[in-house]
Order: sequence, then structure tokens, then C-alpha cells
Amino acid sequence: MTQIDIIGLTKRYGTTLALDGVTLQAREGELVSLLGPSGCGKTTTLRCIAGFMDPDGGDILADGASVTDLPPQRRDFGVVFQNYALFPHLTVFENVAYGLGVRRVPKAEQRTRVAEALAMVRLQGLEDRLPRALSGGQQQRVALARALVIRPRLLLLDEPLANLDARLREEVRWLIRDVQQRARITAFYVTHDQAEAMALSDRIAVMKAGRVAQFATPREIYQRPAEAYVARFTGEANIIPVRPRDRTAGGGFHVPFGGVVLPVSGVEGIRPGDAAMLMLRPEALSITDPGAPDAIPALVLGAAFLGAALACEVSLADGMRLRLQASPHGTVQPGMTVGLAVDTAHAWLMPDIPQ
Amino acid sequence: MKRLLPRLLLGLPAVALLTLFFVLPYVEMVAMSFRAPAFGQPFGSGHTLMHYGRALGDPLYTGALVRSLLTGALITALCLLVSFPLALHLSRLQGRWHVVFYACIVSPLLIGVLVRNFGWMVLVAVDGPFNRWAMAAGLIERPVRVLFTQGIVVMALVHVFTPFMVLPIATALRNVRPELREASASLGAGAFETFRRVTLPLSFPGVQAGVTLVFVLSVAAYVTPALLGGQGIAYMPAVVVRELIGSFAWPFGAALAVIMAASTLAVVTVFTLATHRLAERTRA
Repeated sequence: MTQIDIIGLTKRYGTTLALDGVTLQAREGELVSLLGPSGCGKTTTLRCIAGFMDPDGGDILADGASVTDLPPQRRDFGVVFQNYALFPHLTVFENVAYGLGVRRVPKAEQRTRVAEALAMVRLQGLEDRLPRALSGGQQQRVALARALVIRPRLLLLDEPLANLDARLREEVRWLIRDVQQRARITAFYVTHDQAEAMALSDRIAVMKAGRVAQFATPREIYQRPAEAYVARFTGEANIIPVRPRDRTAGGGFHVPFGGVVLPVSGVEGIRPGDAAMLMLRPEALSITDPGAPDAIPALVLGAAFLGAALACEVSLADGMRLRLQASPHGTVQPGMTVGLAVDTAHAWLMPDIPQ
Repeated sequence: MKRLLPRLLLGLPAVALLTLFFVLPYVEMVAMSFRAPAFGQPFGSGHTLMHYGRALGDPLYTGALVRSLLTGALITALCLLVSFPLALHLSRLQGRWHVVFYACIVSPLLIGVLVRNFGWMVLVAVDGPFNRWAMAAGLIERPVRVLFTQGIVVMALVHVFTPFMVLPIATALRNVRPELREASASLGAGAFETFRRVTLPLSFPGVQAGVTLVFVLSVAAYVTPALLGGQGIAYMPAVVVRELIGSFAWPFGAALAVIMAASTLAVVTVFTLATHRLAERTRA
């Protein structure tokens, strides 16, 4: 059980700044995801934490003590690699026992601890196989067991599900969460998949060009994103440029939109009259009767039946296009004129920050 | 199988070439080793086992064979020792420096065998640069005789066979993914432990290829021992050549050659079987 603090990490490759002051924290037993597109610095951050790479500036603390100058073998951090990185010449048992052998743990204890670790990842009976005789999912379980068996202070996972097919991905995702919770181990998890990050994490750091754009709980990130970049990266969102008119009594903003004025909450520090971005998640919009009070008139451009919902694209009078999810039982068809109702509890106002 | 015939035809030129230049000469050599000797001509009529009896019964020949095999093993071991660090370095280089270092490694092969050995003769001659430098440095009091010793033969062969050891090992090391070393470090292993447990075993496919090549080449080496080893030490290839060309005793020379080839093959087979488990585990 270790708390990890990452303070102002910077890393430069030639002239490009790969990390530009990354500050993060993982409390004891917390799973923190680093989420972002490729090249945003999430893997570089993880490699700096693991010790595979030296940052140019900043500090990494484990329980308050700096580990930045320690080589990886003295950090006691378990790492699970994207391509598993199992030792091809060692059996499953020998792979898992590797860290124990290095630590000169007695053979008998090695056997019990390897068996425990393999039971934890639900992989038994394959101890004598070589990695090449295992499926991708099995290899990932071995990699997880190998990292856990040394009882590391911190678990680092670098896109561990990226090489698995969709069905397995779901299964191993829950396994990782379950194992991390049961071992009560602090973890950093790198991914570019927002659904994965949402499902697994206690907190998510959304990264953008070497910086942390927002660091908060999945709920916060999804419902109250700090900027449009975060909103787009964490799920489908209609992002509309607006100018808030004034403040509401409750501390929100009055935002003119589509001929009506919506009272919405938003990021602190936005001033009325400034350019801002209104986020409407598809579930914030619903279709009503065009004559209903405060309904925004809209033309249905397209509708696709998804089973649980009907995904629609509509356009407003000024040509603005919005995506929303309507009830699958409705009779919405392209070409229809409908009314749009906005659930302002799911609307959110963000500052206009360049992408 | 309608498509079998075209495939067989495609293989035909290779089969023909190998039969003509590889299988037939060997068959001829083995057949020759059983022919009766004769005066005034290379071989007589009739067949006999006497050449094998003579070769295996005379310490002159068995001694040369054992010396050749032991020297081959020594050269292979020294070559491995010299080559591993070079291969490790080569495998980690990128781009231009990789090309430069690669060229340095293969440079012994770019020099003709006579020029190379003459170079060694000049270098280690009694009044040559080696003796002058060593005396100037105070390492020796008077010139030492290096030429026509076993030492210089071993040294020269290690030098020329190093590329055959370095290149396969470097290839094997290049196939060891860098994440494996990172994984090892993250599990608590220091640089030496990682080398011993991961890098070294995974280099084995290269070591196996290199050891086999260098051993076979060392045992069969003829020109270098003949030029640098002088007349005093008899290695098997020189004995074979002497019988075939000097004494004109084709059947006996052939028997010696067959014995030498079979012994080399036996050693390689034993090595391959002994390391079978490791090879099986580390094959790419």
C-alpha cells in the first residue's frame, strides 16, 4: 500500500517536449488511468515511473521518498507490458517465479507464492508450458501474475488489453480490476480506450500533448470536463460554441442556444460575454413534440437503430448539427421536424481552449 | 496432387547441383577409402579395410586427429569468449555505427588467406614489430619465438573465425526484445542477473550456430597451420594432404579424411544433443 506522487515531470526528445510538467497522484490502493491518444505522453510517463527512462525534470515519490534516482530493479514496481514481455525460454512457472528467484526466496516458498499468484489470475494447470504455447489472454494472465507475485509497491500496466480480441478484453479487464482490488495495490494504467479507463479507474488523468488536461474521477471527467478536448475524448459529445449571457442565481450561466436560454453549470472562471463551449452529451438531448414549451425546433437528418437506443442526427434552424439518442420505441424518421428538449442537468459549459 | 510435379521440377536444379558436387564426391571418397593400395599408381584393384586399421592403430595418426579436435575445441572456446562481447556491442548499435562496426567484424574475411598469414609471419618474426614493441615496453628481455608455435596458429584462427561466431550471436541477440530486459529489471534483477538469466540463454541459437561453424572450420583448417605452425606440429588436414598428394596414397588418404570428417560430425552431434533442451526452449 503505497501512495505515489508525480511532481512536474518533464521529458524532452531532441526538440520536442514529450512531457511538459506532468503532476499526478495515486493514493493507497487507487487505480489511476492515463488516458489519451498516441503521442500524448502517457507511455513516456509510465516508463519514467517504472525507471526505464530518466525524466529531465520533476520528481517521483513513493510514500514521500523520491525514487527518481533509483534504477528500476530497486523500485519494487511491477510492470505489465502491452506485448506481455514473457521470457520465451522459461515456462509459466519459471516466468512467474522469476522475481522470487532474483530475490533468493527459498524454493518451497516460491512454489506456494507462484501457485497463489496463478490462482489469483485464474490460470492453473499450465505451469510447465512455454509462453509460445499459450493464447494471448493466457499470456496476459501470466504477465499479471509475474508482476504481482513480488508484491510490488506499485503496479504499472501499459495498454495491457491492446493485443487481445474484444471478448477477451472485457474478461481480462474485469480480472485486472478484481485482482488490483483484492491485492489492494496502487496502480497506474495506460490506455487510449475511454471505456476501459471509465470502467477500471478510481481516477483518470486525461493527457494532451505532454500535459495533464484534467485529473479527476471518471464521473467528473465525463460529466464536468475541463475543456472540449476532454469532453470529446471521454465519449460522444456535441460541442457548441456559445456566449453565456449572465450568471444564474445558483452560480451557473444563462446560455442562449437555438432560440432559448438554458441555465447550465460550468467550469469556474468563465466570464459572461466570453466565447465558451457548451457540451451536450447525446443523453442530455431528447425528442419531444415541436409545440412543447422551450422545445427547440429541429430537422431529423438520419436515424440508426442500435437496439437499446435510436441514434439520431438532427440539424437546428441555423444549420448546427447535433447527435442524440432517442427512445428505440419512437417513430423518428429522417425528414421529420421534431422538438428538442435539453436536460440542463447534463449540459456543461467549458472555456474555449484551443485544441 | 496435381501441383506436386511442378514443385518437384522446381527443386530439380538444386538436387542435381548437390548430387553432382556434394553427394557424389563424398560417395567417391568413401569408396576410395576401401580400395586396395598399389605400387606406381594411386590405387589398385580390389577392396580392403586395412587403411582404417592402419589409421586407427598408429599413434601418429590418432595423435594428429586428437590434436586437431582439441585445438579445434580450444579455438572455438576462445572465439566464443572474444566474440560474445563484440556481438553484444554489435547487436545494440544502430544506423551508421552498426555498418562501420559490422565492417570491422568481417574485415578478417576480406583479406586473402596467404596475405593474412604472411602478415602474421611478419608481425611475429624474431625481429618483427611484436618483439620490438614488447622489448621496448620491457615485457620481454630478448626476442621470443612465436612463429611456428601452436599459440600463433590458435591466435590466427581465432582471428579469422571470429566473424563466424560474432554474426550469428549478434543476430540472436538482436532478436531479444528490449522489453524482456526491462521486465527483468522491474522484477528486481540487476544488469548482471538480467544478462545471466535472460540475455545469455536467449543468445543460445546464435552460440550454437557459431560454435558449430567455428569448430568445423578449425578442425579442417589447412593453410594457416601449415604456414604458421611449421613442420613440427602435425594437424590432421596436413596429414591427409600429405598422404593424398605427397605419398600419392589415395585410398589411405581418403580413409584418414573420412575418419576426420566422421569425428568432427560426432563431436558436433554430441554438442547438439547435449544442448538439445536449451536449443528447443530458445528457438525463435
